Amino acid sequence: MPNKQSKTKLFILILLPIITILTGCEFKDIDKNVFVSMIGIDKSDDEDKPYKITLKLYVPTSSFKQSPKPEYAYITQNGETLTEAIRLMESYSDKELEFGHSKLIVIGEDLLAEKANEIMDFLLRRPDIQMISWVAVGRPSAEEVVKMVPQGENAAYPALFNYFDDIGTESQFIVTTYLFDLRRRLKEDGIDPVLPIIEVKKKESHFKVNKSMVLVDKKEPYELSSLYTQTFNILSMNAPIADLIIKEEGEYFNARVDSMESKYRVNVKDNNKIELEVDVSLIGYISESKNPLKTQDLAYYSKLMEKEAKEKFTEFFEEMIHIGYDPIGFGLDYKSRTLHNRRMSSEEWEEAYKNAGINMTINAELKSTGSIK
Amino acid sequence: MSRYYYYLIFINMVANIIASVPSILYESHKEGSVSSMILGLVAGTIIVTIYTRFFNAFPGMTLPDLLEKTTAKWFYKPFVLFLAFMWFFAGLITLATYTFLLIRYVTPEMPVIQISLSIILSVIFGCLMRTERVLYTIELILLVTLPLILFIFYKTYSGNSLEWDFVKEAALYVNQLPDLNSFSASFFLFLGVVNLFMFNRFFTKKQSFNWKHVTIIAIISTLNMFTTYFIPIGYNGFENIDELVYPWISTSDSIRMEYFMIERVLFVFLLFYLGIAFVSIMIHWHVSIEFLKFVFNLEKLKIKGFKLGKFIPIPFFIGASLFTIVKLNEYQLLRLSSIFYNSLIFFFPSMILLFFFIKRSMKNAKQAKQN
Repeated sequence: MPNKQSKTKLFILILLPIITILTGCEFKDIDKNVFVSMIGIDKSDDEDKPYKITLKLYVPTSSFKQSPKPEYAYITQNGETLTEAIRLMESYSDKELEFGHSKLIVIGEDLLAEKANEIMDFLLRRPDIQMISWVAVGRPSAEEVVKMVPQGENAAYPALFNYFDDIGTESQFIVTTYLFDLRRRLKEDGIDPVLPIIEVKKKESHFKVNKSMVLVDKKEPYELSSLYTQTFNILSMNAPIADLIIKEEGEYFNARVDSMESKYRVNVKDNNKIELEVDVSLIGYISESKNPLKTQDLAYYSKLMEKEAKEKFTEFFEEMIHIGYDPIGFGLDYKSRTLHNRRMSSEEWEEAYKNAGINMTINAELKSTGSIK
Repeated sequence: MSRYYYYLIFINMVANIIASVPSILYESHKEGSVSSMILGLVAGTIIVTIYTRFFNAFPGMTLPDLLEKTTAKWFYKPFVLFLAFMWFFAGLITLATYTFLLIRYVTPEMPVIQISLSIILSVIFGCLMRTERVLYTIELILLVTLPLILFIFYKTYSGNSLEWDFVKEAALYVNQLPDLNSFSASFFLFLGVVNLFMFNRFFTKKQSFNWKHVTIIAIISTLNMFTTYFIPIGYNGFENIDELVYPWISTSDSIRMEYFMIERVLFVFLLFYLGIAFVSIMIHWHVSIEFLKFVFNLEKLKIKGFKLGKFIPIPFFIGASLFTIVKLNEYQLLRLSSIFYNSLIFFFPSMILLFFFIKRSMKNAKQAKQN
C-alpha cells in the first residue's frame, strides 16, 4: 500500500498534466470582438435588398486618457434579409460583431409601417440581442440617428441611452419601450405599443425625443404629438413627474405633479356597449404663476387643475377612441375580467371601443404654492 | 422533518423552471393548463404525503433493502434495474435541456460535446460520493445560489413591467377541462420525494411528519407553480406565450437591474441555474448509480484491493448521454420529456400498491420474529 506521502505525490503528478488542458476559454478573446452599441434598421432604395442596417460600433481604446472624446465606427449595409446584411457586414470588420451589448434599436420611420413584424422576428429570434434593449423610431431615418454624435457626449456611453434609462433625463415627453414590451403589445389584442420618436436636429447637434408613435398591426401608425405623448405618459404612469399648464378663470399657473396614480376599468353595459372608467389622482405643487397666489386658495386651485386635466385627458381619449387605437390597454383590462367564452369577439370589441363612453374622475391636490405666495 | 428532506423536494421543483415543464404547460395554455395545475397540486401533495409516511415508517432503509426482504429475487432485480434506468433518464433530460440552453445563450461557439462533457464530468464526481455527502453538497450549493434566485424572483414580482392583466387573463382559462400533458408536467414537480427510495438511507431516525409539514410543502409548491406558470405570462403576454421556446429565459432577459454590476439578468439567472441543474442531475444520477450498485453487487468487485465496481457504470452514463444529446433536437427533447412525465403519473401512484404489500410483509415478519 502506498503511504500518505507518495499518495500526495501521485496526486500532484496526475494534476500537473491536467493543468495544461486549461489553455483558455472557448470564448473569443475580448480584443477579437467589436461591440455594437446601436442597431439602426432602415428601408433601402434598392428593391431587391429592402433592408439597410447601420451599426454603431465602439472603437476600442487602451485608456480613457488616450481618447477623452467619444469614438465610434459605423458600418452600413443593404440586404435581402436582416441576417444577410449582417453576414455581409462581418466581412467589413476584422473582428467578430458582438450584439450582446447593444442597448438601442432604432427603426426607420418608412420601414416601421410595412415590416414591423419581420423586424421583430429577427430581433427576437437572435438570442444575443437583449430583450431589455430600447426600441425607438428614427426620424428622418435610423441611419442619421445612429450616426449622429451630439454635443457633450461622454466617451463610451452614447448620449441617446440617457434619454431612456431613467438615470439621466426624466422628461415627461419620453416614452420608454423595451423590446419585450413591444413584442407583447404587438402580439396581444387589447393593448397597442407606443414607440418614442427620435428626431435629429443636425444644425444644433442634438436629439429631440418628445413625440411618439402608436403602432397597430396592419394599420397606419399614428403619431402622438408632444402633448398627447405627455398625456399618455401621465396616464400610463411612465413619467415620474409632469407639468400641467392651467389656464382657467383668469388664473394662469403651472402645476408640477410629482405623484400620480391612474386606474382604468371597462364597464360593460347591455348589448355590447362599454364605458371606459378612468380614475386619476394627481398630487403636486405650483411651480410658476402669472398672478400672485394665496395659500388659503389651494383647494380652489386644485379644482381648476382638475378641470384642466379633465379637458386634456378627455381630449386624448376621444382621439384614441375615434381612431380605434388602444395604447392604454382597455381591451386587455376587459379580457382580464371576462371569462373567455363569454367575451365579445375582437370585431365586436373594436366596434364597442369606437363607440365607448368615457367616465373620468380626476382627483387633483396641490399641496403648496412653492417657495413664494 | 429534517431539512435535507425538503431540499430533495425543493430542488426538483425549482430545477424544472428551466426544463420543459413550463413549455409543456404553455402548449395547452388555452385548453386547461390552469385546471390541470390545480389538479396536479392536489395529486402531488397526496403522493408526497403517502411516500413520506411510508419511508418514515422504515427509517434508514432504502427501497432495494425493503424489496430484498419482502419480494423474490426474480422480481426485485429487474425492477430495481428498471428504476435505475428511469433515474438516469430523468437526469439526462435536465442535462440535455441545460446543454441546449448553454449553447444557445452563453457559448454559441463551443461544441455540444464539450459543453455536455464538462457538466457530465463534474456531475459524475458528485454522484460517486456517499449519500450523506451528496446531501451536504446540495446544501452548500443551495446556500450559494438560492438567495440570489429568490432575489431574482423578487425582482420579477416587483418590476413595473409585470402586467397583472395578462396573468388574470390566463387565470380565467381555469374553466377548461384538464389536459393530460399539463397534468403530468405539474405532477412531476412533486416527484422530488421519490428520491427517498435511496436517500432514506440518510434519515436513520424516525421523524415526525404531520399536517404541518404537508401544509408547508403545499404552500411552497403552490408558490413555485404560480411563479413557474404565471410570471412569464405577465412579462410576455398570454395569447402567444406558446411561441417562446424557453419561456423563463426570455422572462429573465426582460428584467433589468439598472444599478447592479450586470444589467442583463439573463446571465446571472443562467449561472445560478447551472448550480441548481447540477444538483438536480447529481441527485438523479446518484440514485441511479446506487440502484445499479445494488443490482450488480458492484461494491464487491475489487481488483487488488481497489474498489473498481462503482466506476463501471460511468462510461455507459457518459456514452449514453453524449449520444442522446448529439442526436436530439429541441422539439424531440420536449416530446420525450412529455412522454416521460406522462408515464410517471401511472407508474408512481401504482407503486403505492407495492408499498402496501411491503408494509404488510414487514409487519408479518416482525410479528413472526417476536413470536
